Amino acid sequence: MLQFKPQKGRIIFHIDMNCFYASVEMAYDKKLKGKALAIAGNPEERKGIIVTSSYEARAKGVKTTMPLWQARKLCPNLMVKRPNFERYRKASRKIFQLLSEITPLVEPVSIDEGYLDVTEVDYPRGSIQLAKDLQQAIKNRLDLPCSIGIAPNKFLAKTASDMKKPMGITVLRKRELNEKLWPLPIEKMHGVGQKTAEKLHSIQIKTIGDLAKKDVYILKQLLGINGERLNNRANGIDPRIVDPKAVHEFKSIGSSQTLPRDTTDEQVIVQLMKQLSLQVERRIKRKQSSGRTVQLMIRFQDRNTITRSKTLPSYIDNEEDIMSVAYELFKTHWDGKPIRLIGITLQDIEEKKNIVHQLDLFTYEKEEGKEKLQTAIQELTSKYGENPFKQLDEQPKDEQPRTSFQKDFLDDYLK
Amino acid sequence: MRFTIQRDKLITSVQDVMKAISSRTAIPILTGMKIEAKQHGITLTGSDSDISIESFIPTEKNGEIYVENIEEGSIVIHARYFPDIIRKLPENTVQIEVDEQLQVTIRSGKAEFSLNGQDADEYPLLPQVETDNSFQMPTDLLKYMIKQTVFAVSSMETRPILTGVKFTLEKGKLNFTATDSHRLASRDVPIDAGELEFSNVVVPGKSLNELNKILDDTEEMVEISVTENQILFKTEHLNFLSRLLDGNYPETSRLIPTQSKTTIFTKTKELIQAIDRAALLAKEDRNNVVRLTTLDNNMIEIMSNSPEIGHVTEEVPIQSMEGEELKISFSSKYVLEGLRAIHADEVKIEFTGAMRPFIIKPINGDEILQLILPVRTY
Repeated sequence: MLQFKPQKGRIIFHIDMNCFYASVEMAYDKKLKGKALAIAGNPEERKGIIVTSSYEARAKGVKTTMPLWQARKLCPNLMVKRPNFERYRKASRKIFQLLSEITPLVEPVSIDEGYLDVTEVDYPRGSIQLAKDLQQAIKNRLDLPCSIGIAPNKFLAKTASDMKKPMGITVLRKRELNEKLWPLPIEKMHGVGQKTAEKLHSIQIKTIGDLAKKDVYILKQLLGINGERLNNRANGIDPRIVDPKAVHEFKSIGSSQTLPRDTTDEQVIVQLMKQLSLQVERRIKRKQSSGRTVQLMIRFQDRNTITRSKTLPSYIDNEEDIMSVAYELFKTHWDGKPIRLIGITLQDIEEKKNIVHQLDLFTYEKEEGKEKLQTAIQELTSKYGENPFKQLDEQPKDEQPRTSFQKDFLDDYLK
Repeated sequence: MRFTIQRDKLITSVQDVMKAISSRTAIPILTGMKIEAKQHGITLTGSDSDISIESFIPTEKNGEIYVENIEEGSIVIHARYFPDIIRKLPENTVQIEVDEQLQVTIRSGKAEFSLNGQDADEYPLLPQVETDNSFQMPTDLLKYMIKQTVFAVSSMETRPILTGVKFTLEKGKLNFTATDSHRLASRDVPIDAGELEFSNVVVPGKSLNELNKILDDTEEMVEISVTENQILFKTEHLNFLSRLLDGNYPETSRLIPTQSKTTIFTKTKELIQAIDRAALLAKEDRNNVVRLTTLDNNMIEIMSNSPEIGHVTEEVPIQSMEGEELKISFSSKYVLEGLRAIHADEVKIEFTGAMRPFIIKPINGDEILQLILPVRTY
């Protein structure tokens, strides 16, 4: 057994759950195991797009974002389930609880992946065995498969976890870069999207190795600071630390939803906008924060998408205020074309305790009523530490994230 | 039109008039500068239709000849090039000549420029200001009053009237008031204006800033005339005309507290320096907040805290204190600007509660007042 404990440098795990939604469904209903299973968003409301699928389905060519009818053509005995986010959320929380038993240095990235810094973890049988035992524990206790990448930094760990699925454990060492990382096509590199890949192709970069050897100056001219960052990563350099608080650092909170059918009916659109504003309100309040930029996204029938935003002089956090700004944006920027999707996002987010409100000469008298309460709170705060009167953490049971991108709940796993 | 002029006199006048000329204007000819030659002198005019400035260069003053060889006439010259040309000419005198085709020839020494001019008849006539409603005051005092108030005007167009300074002349007292609704600056000066009284005269802050730059720090008198929609500031060789802002300035006097719950007396400079230090850690996007707490034995504490940067406290000795103890948070920017505008070695600050406006005044005097609204913290 190799003792993987370098003198310097860190040991980072990247845990990547395999076909997460499908696996959770299979753990929940064992009959689904070994079947071609797809999770598709709201089959009734739109033609249905594949959110994720099991390996059995993937083997037949089913891919994420594929329309359901196309997937059925490729795989006639495909079983389709609607997503049950509450179920996935619960599973996710259990996974992160398990991870945090190993080390407090856990950084959730999304519902189904996260980083662990196990450098300081004293595991007598070494880090690789730790990964194996962790993988087995998740399998045994939650019946969920995952892949783990082990490397000296986040980028390499993430790359490694991708190399063997399902139930893989891959170690990626810096000295193995030229054989394991560099031959890969540049599109496979994390952090390189389609646009970046196209740009890199224009300067004859086809593989990650090409990128690693390219002159940084040229890359900077092409991609700005990101060019240097990508070059560093291709050379196995990634200084990002595993930050358990990273998930708290949210800069915006938004909700979007596709309409049942494309519409020009303002009543329907306004109805949806109100619903979205309310969702944003709930989520921002949960975070005891406020924001002061409202962004409206409109996707038209032809898939053309516009985003328009407005920054306010003061912070807001309730449905009414969010809606009124969003509606103003809508009125200004909608040209009457059929709309497919609406998104409302609150940006410039700040925690309430950091927000101050500049009083106004012409309105301060109205606000004075709050002063007495304020002084009482201040006195108690100086007596007992932080504000003892937190607003209630209201969260009705039926409230679930509407998409997999909402990460709010990830800060709850330690509660 | 033709004349020969002392170059330094021309430069000064051109620079003054340029303050009113904007390259972006609805009326194209206003991007130019009008020059008019008369036997008694040369008049330069610039305007952006909000502000108009006329500067006069007399033929002679105190026996010194400024302008000679005058052949009367007028022209409008492109203001983009004219000032730089004059500034860079080689000799102390400049000859300017305009021909029938509106070609302007500028000569100095061996240098000769030829510029395309525009017909001065196309240049709009400036509004005529009746001089019945006028009063006089020393120029340096006017500048002082502007500097003590104009910084408090609103920079946002959401309430346009607040982008101006309100002039009131009542009972022999001239008052300037400016507020952006977060702070208010007010200054009184006794004026001998006879029977003349007015109120709700609101002069754009931008006009006053330009006026302050142009006026010299002298004790010579400036004559101020007010009409329905214009105000004219007139000195010996300068006419500065500004439009007034439309609308009613909100009533502010009743919003100024008259009683104090906590009063502190302090040296201005020490307080400015302590707040300035604390403000180093106060973030601009969070209103530059610092907190003032009264302590025992004539001390106050100035504190600022930005969780991601750090935190600073300083105990500052004060002269004395009266009334209740107090903890109040405010924008350091507003308080510093207010303290600096007071121009007094010692000030008194009157607080009326943590959520109510407070007032800074010189320790003995009511002629200037800086009012500031605190911030509410959650």
